[in-house]
Amino acid sequence: MRVKLFTSFLLVTLSVFSQNNISLTIPNNLKENANAVIREHSIDVTLRSSSDMHVVQKRVVTVLNKQGNDHIDAYLYYDDNKRIISLEAIVFDAFGRQIKKIKKKDFKDVSAVDGGTLYSDSRVKYLEYTPISYPYTIEISCEYVDKNTAFIESFYPLNDYYLSVQKSSYSLSFPSDIKVRTKKRNFENVNLEEVVLENYLSFKVKDIEAIKPEDFSPSLSAIAPRVLVASNEFTLEGVSAHVENWEDFGKWMYHDLIKDTQDLPQSTLKEIKSLVNGAKSDLEKAKIVYQYVQDKVRYISVQVGIGGWKPFNVSKVDELGYGDCKALTNYTMALLKAVGIDSHFTVLYARSSQRSMENDFASMQGNHAILNIPQENGEDIWLECTSQKLPFGFIGDFTDDRDVLVITPEGGKIEHTKKYKVDESLQSIKGVCNISNEGAIKAKVTVISKGIQYDDKYLLETETSRDLDMHYKEHWGYINGLSIDDMEIINDRDNIEFIENISFNALNYSKIVGDRMLLTLNALNRNRHIPDRYRSRKLPLQIKRGFKDIDSVEIKLPSDYKIESKPENVLIENKYGSYKMELNIKDENTLVYNREFIITDGYFPKEDYEGFRDFYKEVSKQDNAKIALIKK
Amino acid sequence: MRVILIVFVLCITNLMFSQDYKFGKVSKEELKETVCSIDSTANAAFLYKFRRTYYEYIKDEGFVLKTDIHERIKFYNQEGFDYATKQVRLYNGSGGEEKISNLKAYTYNIEKGKVVSEKLSKDDIFKSEANKYSNSVKFTMPNIKPGSVIEFKYQINSPYWSNVDEFIFQHDIPIKKLEAEFDVPEYYNFKVNTKGFLSVVPEVENKNGVIRFVDKSRSQIGGTVYDNSEIAYYRQVSKYHLQDIPALKEEPFVNSINNYRSSAKYELSYTKFPNSQIETYSTTWEDVVDRVYQSSNFGDELKKTAYFQSDIDALVGSVSGAEEKMAMIFDYVKSQVKWNGYYGFYADDVKKAYKSHAGSSGDINLMLTAMLRYAGLNANPVLVSTRTHGVPLFPTREGYNYVVTWVRLPNDKVALLDATDKYSVPNILPLRALNWQGRIVAENGGYGVIDLYPKNKSENSVTMMAKIDEEGALEGSYRSIKTNHRALSFRNSYNEADKDDFLEKLENRYNGIEISDYTVKNDMDLSKPIQESYKFNKESQVDIIGEKMYFSPLFHLRTKENPFKLEKREFPVDFGYPSLTSFRVILSIPEGYKIESTPESVALALPDNLGSFSYMVKGGGRNIQVMVETQINESIISPIYYEVLKEYFNTFIQKEAEQIVLTKV
Repeated sequence: MRVKLFTSFLLVTLSVFSQNNISLTIPNNLKENANAVIREHSIDVTLRSSSDMHVVQKRVVTVLNKQGNDHIDAYLYYDDNKRIISLEAIVFDAFGRQIKKIKKKDFKDVSAVDGGTLYSDSRVKYLEYTPISYPYTIEISCEYVDKNTAFIESFYPLNDYYLSVQKSSYSLSFPSDIKVRTKKRNFENVNLEEVVLENYLSFKVKDIEAIKPEDFSPSLSAIAPRVLVASNEFTLEGVSAHVENWEDFGKWMYHDLIKDTQDLPQSTLKEIKSLVNGAKSDLEKAKIVYQYVQDKVRYISVQVGIGGWKPFNVSKVDELGYGDCKALTNYTMALLKAVGIDSHFTVLYARSSQRSMENDFASMQGNHAILNIPQENGEDIWLECTSQKLPFGFIGDFTDDRDVLVITPEGGKIEHTKKYKVDESLQSIKGVCNISNEGAIKAKVTVISKGIQYDDKYLLETETSRDLDMHYKEHWGYINGLSIDDMEIINDRDNIEFIENISFNALNYSKIVGDRMLLTLNALNRNRHIPDRYRSRKLPLQIKRGFKDIDSVEIKLPSDYKIESKPENVLIENKYGSYKMELNIKDENTLVYNREFIITDGYFPKEDYEGFRDFYKEVSKQDNAKIALIKK
Repeated sequence: MRVILIVFVLCITNLMFSQDYKFGKVSKEELKETVCSIDSTANAAFLYKFRRTYYEYIKDEGFVLKTDIHERIKFYNQEGFDYATKQVRLYNGSGGEEKISNLKAYTYNIEKGKVVSEKLSKDDIFKSEANKYSNSVKFTMPNIKPGSVIEFKYQINSPYWSNVDEFIFQHDIPIKKLEAEFDVPEYYNFKVNTKGFLSVVPEVENKNGVIRFVDKSRSQIGGTVYDNSEIAYYRQVSKYHLQDIPALKEEPFVNSINNYRSSAKYELSYTKFPNSQIETYSTTWEDVVDRVYQSSNFGDELKKTAYFQSDIDALVGSVSGAEEKMAMIFDYVKSQVKWNGYYGFYADDVKKAYKSHAGSSGDINLMLTAMLRYAGLNANPVLVSTRTHGVPLFPTREGYNYVVTWVRLPNDKVALLDATDKYSVPNILPLRALNWQGRIVAENGGYGVIDLYPKNKSENSVTMMAKIDEEGALEGSYRSIKTNHRALSFRNSYNEADKDDFLEKLENRYNGIEISDYTVKNDMDLSKPIQESYKFNKESQVDIIGEKMYFSPLFHLRTKENPFKLEKREFPVDFGYPSLTSFRVILSIPEGYKIESTPESVALALPDNLGSFSYMVKGGGRNIQVMVETQINESIISPIYYEVLKEYFNTFIQKEAEQIVLTKV
């Protein structure tokens, strides 16, 4: 029964396609914002056993313009466990006439090592095709078998921006001794047709419009419809598993992939114990261990076989002094254990998009590992073990504020990483600006940055003085002819503060017009970016991280001038944040300019975007407020 | 006391001089150095970089090319750790496979005052097939810390005896000592081309070499008889000894930093083996051109006409004017064959490219040349080195990597054509091809030289008419006319883009100006300049302070930042092409205001007619007229003008920021 259903389905697919007058039939709404249209995509997976998966895929894409070429996705990874049976591409012109056929052997075949990886045993076959004219349609079909069943293809019909979907389908057949779990997400606006039988399931969607990326919007993974698929029995590089939930998954990872790698050599064990001798608290010990790791090991990615998922042995990291995120996290965990501190290997999605692990759906997820040190007060410490620079316990926007999988010997559990609150992500500026009678500025400023704003700055420490000089000239690029007199930067890793002491000068900062001088009050921290304007905003407004800027600047006015008129104080408060500007007259020739700018994080409906943008526009305008001086 | 100090200092100096560069002899002093002695900002440095490339005679195989590498690298901080990973690319083509052998590598650290070394284990060396034509050997050194020194050596055996990799003398980190050697038997004659800003001259000497043949045979009495014979020859040995080579640092407006990296490239000019004819490769420009022409992938491809004859006959059979024929054939190739992104001046297969509608620069422009010739025009291919490829100062085939087409019309007008870009027009080549000189390859191998840098300015002339209202908002219309390269780059971005998206990006580039009635004329008519026009409005463009309004009259059109921020500059500033930008702004001011003051008019010029700036404001009643013009007259400006160029930008940016003041009547 199962097989039959499967075949008939395939036949239907084929007959639809053989009509051939392809690109004449794309509905207009699918062309909007689209550089390419997936005309038809089918993935048919047959799980023959927990260690044998057979996949047939066909993807027919009409590419509307040059930017759409990336969406043909004409590549297929393979490795020792994954064998390609067939791979073929056919190109059709705008009238549906076949113009080219590309066979498996004409695909380029290269090692799938990206820039950041030293070695990986995975390879990729990809198609290099020069389009002759647009639109064109390409049909790519492939068939492969894989002994790894940990990653069953999920149904992810919309995998990119500027791409629409006319038809997309997915089916999975599986033996009766295997249980398959699914989870549907983001189908609020998309109709999902599904068939669920005892040993078979299938999904189908139609007519998904293209999404255009927009400033301050949720990431694609948070909005694109998808059905996650996983089986309770699976094999990963020869290691088998039975997983129903995160608890099982964590147990499996701990016992089958992590436990036997904890072979810390005696010499290092002794060394680390003697290093923490005298440390008064666990926190202090943990800091010493983290520093030891940062001084000793560096990040190098090597992915071979099970090594893509199982960390290197601790002894190997100890010997080589390098490893990938798994290896370094695991190494730090072993060292902490040696000094009596419990910590847990943690799997997550890294990068600033704050993607969470699916909290109620256990499967192979994530692309990074960090370390969790549980704390009784619930404010756990998170360690990024691949950085030789980050302060202890600081994770920045790479892994902050998201659901992660913490692995303990008792099993896995979903927890949430640290969120940097508005008040924590503080930048405070204290400065003095001297304005000469000729309009030149001489400024001396101290900038202290914390939280996410520390994250934006700490790498400045590694710049050469030539590049740092360039950095500040670009940072204050709105001041023409700026030259740096002095710069000192201090990375206070203990207090997690970045301190910049900068002096600069520029001729002709303020504009002299006849007897008057026009002086822009905010010389040191002007907002220069206004979020993009959209004729019709489609996506909700998401401010992922808030921050707070507090500036207090003394302005020494030129001796030959007095104030003719000055801007009013400003106070703006709204749901996106607030802006406050106060100008105080200290004495005849001294003003104090106080500015406070706060953006709060939050999730708002798309209608709020315009108001948010207006707020930024207003801030930019106020940051350019000028005082008029006149000759005494 | 003083004496002791001097002795001490002398000792150290002495130690530093007697640095040992033998493999494995890493000194404590090298490990203890915390800041690079020749560049305090260096993250890492080559303490020693050695390469010897030579030929070895192997029985039954003949001469094979061998290269010995030995490098010693010091890390001053974590930012230099990238240099602890090494990748060796090995070519694997139809002529055989390049092989690496004798790889040995160690990391040195100081532990408890002692030098300790750690060997790179075989298991941590990764070999992989990078693609069909190359293998890669990659490793990273163990236990790298700030202060570590690593050292590795290996040998590469290559069957490609005519192809000697470039000797690189400068890196992104400094080199304290460099030794390089090229040792070649008399049978091969190489030519060396050096480039870069460092002066690099090898010591050249002749040495003796000998090939020993041993023939083994079984004697009739029993036992083995050896028959020895020898051939003596001489070798030419070129040696480079360099010290304290500074790091090469990126600068903006440089076509490619590699153009300034010091290096030496050996190219085979001829071979002369005993009892055989001289076989020439290239020594003079004639040879280069001749060899290129003789190559089947060039001359032969150029001679093929059968595949297009009937199409070209149909296309231009009834056309008599040469210029018209040229234009039609050029357009025909552009529409028929798309560039696949590959460079090169050889064609892979013109016929296949024509049939499959896609090909490399060689396929496309050799096809174009052949078609033009077939139609009776005087057309030749031109060898070009693209901007990223560098400048070919010496006769060499490898100096070029691209080809365009040259045509001389009966009226003696000359046109350069490149059909790889569908918006390119005669004499407006894509930016990538604008680099120094091209070499015209005439039929049967003659040659000529042609300057590729454009002479004609690319213009952008903007007219803006706008009205300022009482709130300080600006409303008006904008019109621009773009020519030559300005038009080419506009077409490439506008014509290929989604129009709504293009407009949104334009609005956002001007911080949210609102644009309506956007039109572009001549986007597809390449013979005419691009005409872009729109209506716009933008809030708060004026500072209203008390009774007065202040604004700089170019508004969002003015240049706000100086692109030249570096204090010092080593390399020429490369603009690609000469340009002229002009703004004509006609403003009307709100009712109830009068003009109080306007900035003074100025004109300034760069020395040696490199460029100029003029600024003029005229006001009367409620109207203000502003004329601003900037010109850069050369494609490339020497770094000796850097200071003045930077100051020129500063001055005109400042001038453009000057304010007009209005006051309430």
